[in-house]
Amino acid sequence: MKPVDLARKLRREAAFKPAALDRGKETLMAAIQQEVEPRRPTVIPQLPYADIRAALSFLERAFGFREIRATRLEGADGVVHHALVEFGDSVIGIGTQGAHGAVSPQRGGIESQYLSVAVADVAAHYQRARAAGARIAREPRGHGAEAHAYEAFDPEGHRWRFVHQRLREVPQERTRA
Amino acid sequence: MSSPSDAEVIGRSMGDPEAFGLIYDRHAVALLRFLGRRAGAKIAEGLVGELFRIAFERRKTFDGSRASALPWLYGIGSNLLLKHRRGEARRLRASARMAADGERADRRAGAAALDARLLFPRVANAIEALPDDEREALLLFAWEELPYQSVAEALDLPIDTVRSRLNRARARLRELLEPKGKGRVRSQ
Repeated sequence: MKPVDLARKLRREAAFKPAALDRGKETLMAAIQQEVEPRRPTVIPQLPYADIRAALSFLERAFGFREIRATRLEGADGVVHHALVEFGDSVIGIGTQGAHGAVSPQRGGIESQYLSVAVADVAAHYQRARAAGARIAREPRGHGAEAHAYEAFDPEGHRWRFVHQRLREVPQERTRA
Repeated sequence: MSSPSDAEVIGRSMGDPEAFGLIYDRHAVALLRFLGRRAGAKIAEGLVGELFRIAFERRKTFDGSRASALPWLYGIGSNLLLKHRRGEARRLRASARMAADGERADRRAGAAALDARLLFPRVANAIEALPDDEREALLLFAWEELPYQSVAEALDLPIDTVRSRLNRARARLRELLEPKGKGRVRSQ
């Protein structure tokens, strides 16, 4: 008897409970539902990083972002090419240094923009960021609103501003027709 | 109106995630049976939802030039089974005992070069001792009856690599059947 035919002799069907397929589908639909519910933002800023894995880890630890894991683009070699992180009701893309003409400050030597993020507790956020090793660019001191905001660099030099959510940069009352 | 291919359904599910449910409806039975043959009903029932959840989350990596998602799904299943090697080994040994009993009841086995009682446990051991990649190729080919091309898609390998793995697996199993076969299985 040929080897493959011998192996075939050991093939045996399993006996399933009738509901086996229903439970599997519930698992899938729950995962789908998770992805359906997140908002679909109109504008997504894209930040380039030389080391996306390190960036994701830092943004989660230091700044409290959360990766939307299902959307991660990963090569067969395990290299992450792109990921999305969320914070509050916003989403930011974490992309590859050099892709789409975007340059990490680590490479370019200068940051060309900063991101302003509204948080509920600036002091607690500041402590968390410092504890995770964030380099502070501006302390949460000064007069008025500036006492309730601070700025920090991530490991590749992107600059982030964290401001109390009541003091968002575009308050409703200040927008005029 | 012809129904859309798997590739079209998966493409649509990028913007409309719920469309992916159709992939489950089409292939869950085949994958559940596959997992069941390998690891038994209990493990398979626990894994089938997980398999499709992973497929859904990785659907961007599906090669849209392939009409059927089945080989791709088999590949995800194969990976999941790696964590259940003990359950697989147990089931394989039990299948060997049943096959041996079946052959003994069937008198024709009397002329076989090796007594079925010895033969099937050896086959089971030999399959068990194959390196993961060879065992996976062999079982997708022999049990799931996938053509080489589909095995290649499932394991994400060139078809020539699949061919050589299957040949190596065959050669290892053949060692068991040689007249003076020592019956010992190389484990590595």
